[in-house]
Amino acid sequence: MSAARRALLVLGPCLALACAAPWSRPIWERPPPPSRDGPVVQPGSLHRTDLDNGLRVLVLEDRRLPRVSVGVTFRRGEAIVELAKAGLAPFTAELMKRGAGSRDALALARAVDEIGASLSVAAGWDSMSVGVAGLSRDLDRLLEILADVVLRPRFERAEARKARGEQLALLEKQKDDPGTLVRWQVARVLYPEHRYGLPFEGTPASVARLDARAARAFQRRVMLPNDAILFASGDVSAADLLERAGRLFGAWKPANVPEVGPTVPDPTPPGRRVVVVDRPDLVQAHITLAHEGISRTDPERIAAALMNSVLGGSGFSSRLMARVRADAGLTYGVWSGFALRRQPGPFAVGTFTRVSEVRRVVDLLLGELERAREVPPDAAELRDAQTLATGRFALGLETPDAVIASLVDLDVYGLPEDALDTYRRRVRATTTADTERAARRLLHPQRAAIVVVGPAEQLTPQLEDLGAVSVEQP
Amino acid sequence: MPRAPRSPRRPVLLAVAALASFAAGSVATGSDVEDVAERTVVTVLPNGLTVLTLEDRSTPVVSFQMWVKVGSRDESWYTGLAHLFEHMMFKGSKRIAPELHAQLVQARGGRLNAFTSRDYTVYFEDVTSETLPLVIALEAERVANLDISEKTLASERQVVLEERRLRSEDNPNGRAMEALMALTFKAHPYRRPVIGWRSDIEAATVEACRRFFDTYYAPNNIVISIVGDFDGGEALAHVRREFGRLEPAAEIPRNPTREPEQRGERRVSVHFDLRGPILMAAWHAPPTGHPDAEALDVASQILSHGRSSRLYRRLVYEGQQALYAEASYWELLDAGVFYGVAGVRPDASIERVEALFFREIARLRDEPVSDAELEKGKRQLEVMLVNGLVKAHAVASRIARDTAAFGRIRPLAERLEAIRSVTVEDVQRVARTYLVDEKRSVVQLLPPPGGER
Repeated sequence: MSAARRALLVLGPCLALACAAPWSRPIWERPPPPSRDGPVVQPGSLHRTDLDNGLRVLVLEDRRLPRVSVGVTFRRGEAIVELAKAGLAPFTAELMKRGAGSRDALALARAVDEIGASLSVAAGWDSMSVGVAGLSRDLDRLLEILADVVLRPRFERAEARKARGEQLALLEKQKDDPGTLVRWQVARVLYPEHRYGLPFEGTPASVARLDARAARAFQRRVMLPNDAILFASGDVSAADLLERAGRLFGAWKPANVPEVGPTVPDPTPPGRRVVVVDRPDLVQAHITLAHEGISRTDPERIAAALMNSVLGGSGFSSRLMARVRADAGLTYGVWSGFALRRQPGPFAVGTFTRVSEVRRVVDLLLGELERAREVPPDAAELRDAQTLATGRFALGLETPDAVIASLVDLDVYGLPEDALDTYRRRVRATTTADTERAARRLLHPQRAAIVVVGPAEQLTPQLEDLGAVSVEQP
Repeated sequence: MPRAPRSPRRPVLLAVAALASFAAGSVATGSDVEDVAERTVVTVLPNGLTVLTLEDRSTPVVSFQMWVKVGSRDESWYTGLAHLFEHMMFKGSKRIAPELHAQLVQARGGRLNAFTSRDYTVYFEDVTSETLPLVIALEAERVANLDISEKTLASERQVVLEERRLRSEDNPNGRAMEALMALTFKAHPYRRPVIGWRSDIEAATVEACRRFFDTYYAPNNIVISIVGDFDGGEALAHVRREFGRLEPAAEIPRNPTREPEQRGERRVSVHFDLRGPILMAAWHAPPTGHPDAEALDVASQILSHGRSSRLYRRLVYEGQQALYAEASYWELLDAGVFYGVAGVRPDASIERVEALFFREIARLRDEPVSDAELEKGKRQLEVMLVNGLVKAHAVASRIARDTAAFGRIRPLAERLEAIRSVTVEDVQRVARTYLVDEKRSVVQLLPPPGGER
């Protein structure tokens, strides 16, 4: 038998079994097989309708398990709150969990807990959201609770006093967390005079001013049917849900929608600012480098995300992780990313290291930021970032709740309805020229503020030649 | 865990040969839930490797998990070795360069990580189906051909020390937990922190890592579970080919130490620069799989699940003393723990928090819970079981853990039945049996004395 003939005989069954022939390269040296781009939602399972009062209704049917999530999201959040009342959106959200309709705080909690359900009222920079989830047989009760909390919150004064006390206590306790101290300080340095410059939860002075009346006024201003999306996912019928939505929310009166606010923040000024938050007890310093970033709707956001993925957004695979963790053993984790909000939020690079090595790490971070501009992602780096993004996309949409949350997010920011369907195509269409342009436009190591939390006595000498170091108390 | 939080703010970085029937467990509500786990195919290879495959083509994801039956309880010299070793599993093998394993999986959009507990070390990859063959080959490669060098250990040791600083030394909760376990267990290795003591991380050797690997990373000490969008027959063939060549270990040594009975309360204060003190407490409780487990779970629901729960009401809502207060039953293989924690408000008193907390524990012993609370607690547990069926990853964890702990997958119907049969008397009985004052350990994490922070 000829060699060729023998080879064919071996090859045949191997192909049939889809196994690796002994002479072929190991599987990890072969290019990845193409991913299958299945539809994001099963055809016919997603329903979209607008009620007469402007309320948008989104329903995703998925009957695999007897569970259901329903909620209402509003397209305004903490970003429209004036500086003096910073923290009003999370305060309002908390108060809305403390009594609605005929139920006071405890009765509402019992109504939720006794059916094993969950109730969340969440505040974000750009949205407010009320959600309930539980078993689908309890849909009547879940919708009744949802309608009560959205339309008939009680805003009792005694509850406002308690909630305010808790929010103040939380602000104080959060100073125990070095990561929070870094975040607050970065915001303060980057956004003077702007709402983004104060902690999301407010300050002791602003929270002290919050009361039931302010929360009620904010709720009336923001929670309008013509600025809201009612969503449901799981074991529900769209027709049935629409009918119920009309009954529960149809009489809700529309009104004028508030301005988006705030004004666009100024870009980070030139020149280096170095801030140390003094925590003498820490053995590990937390480090963040930051400057202005991009908005959620920036036309270059996909190129920016892919560029950032190569730099520090992709965990184990990023340049920063290779450099600072794997090669140098200087940290357990390092990341970079854009805070995507309606107005440009910060771009930040963050990590933590033993106090004695802070300067070395700061130099590595600055060096990688420079390199990201000078040596932008090459074709192989971009390809890996693209397949990472498209693969993660599929993983991120495993559950109906995740799909509906993504659709609601698109709506909040006025992005195209089909953005999920086109996402993978847009990722694949991105070129190295696109990511190079994004790196040059969006990374500014020379004017990145450097914020470090740790013992000032040991940190200041390490950082002094980078610029005047201002030392702050927590 | 080898992988760190993506941002400091939001940490990222987390069950024989039989084919069971399609029997459906029915939730108290009357709606039927099909327990997909009952369709699991269990295969034991000649070398002792247990492989669980469960196809579910309705999800876009496949979760591959490798549960190695080794944790910090099995360490015999250097504490933290199981965890340090887990990190070394990402540092290269004969044919794979350091870090490449993770990069290959991520470049295909996969999510991967690993974690070490007191009982298990778990490696997982959540991927789309076309990447599963690669994942199987990579996992087998590192179990067969791991390469631990002085150089990679030296740098990874520093990474783990940073992880220790992050999670334990500078972290109030980590500090308190370390103190609590060292107080609760005097003899059993559960007293050690999983990440290990600093001195041991600094001293662990390449030789110790290799010995640990040779002793515990044997196919007959491993359970693999694969759940989601894949072809079971093909995957099993891959696993056989890649893992079938591994040699089983003749014997897996286990630490013989058992915890002697506690006679008298234990208490310690730990000082730390902080504004909000932390109270932690622990009681000895039965090991995993014990018939009292469900009653202890119901007790913890009544204490702290939701805003109508007892601890939330007394300490947070009415008392205005704490920002959170929780209790939970923690199942471990050798000995369980009933655990309590409260985050004291900076403007409140830890003594008052402790008094309120223990008054609620005493109430569980002294008075029967109401029927409404019992039903609420049971319903919450049932809904949690249903929620555990949503993601492929969660199902893969459940079937692997059950198999590793019990040698079988406990059907949903069995677990629902165990929850439903809990009575008011059971809750009071377990509280009186386990949650007694003489058998508790208490940690107060406080600012340094003298009023100066």
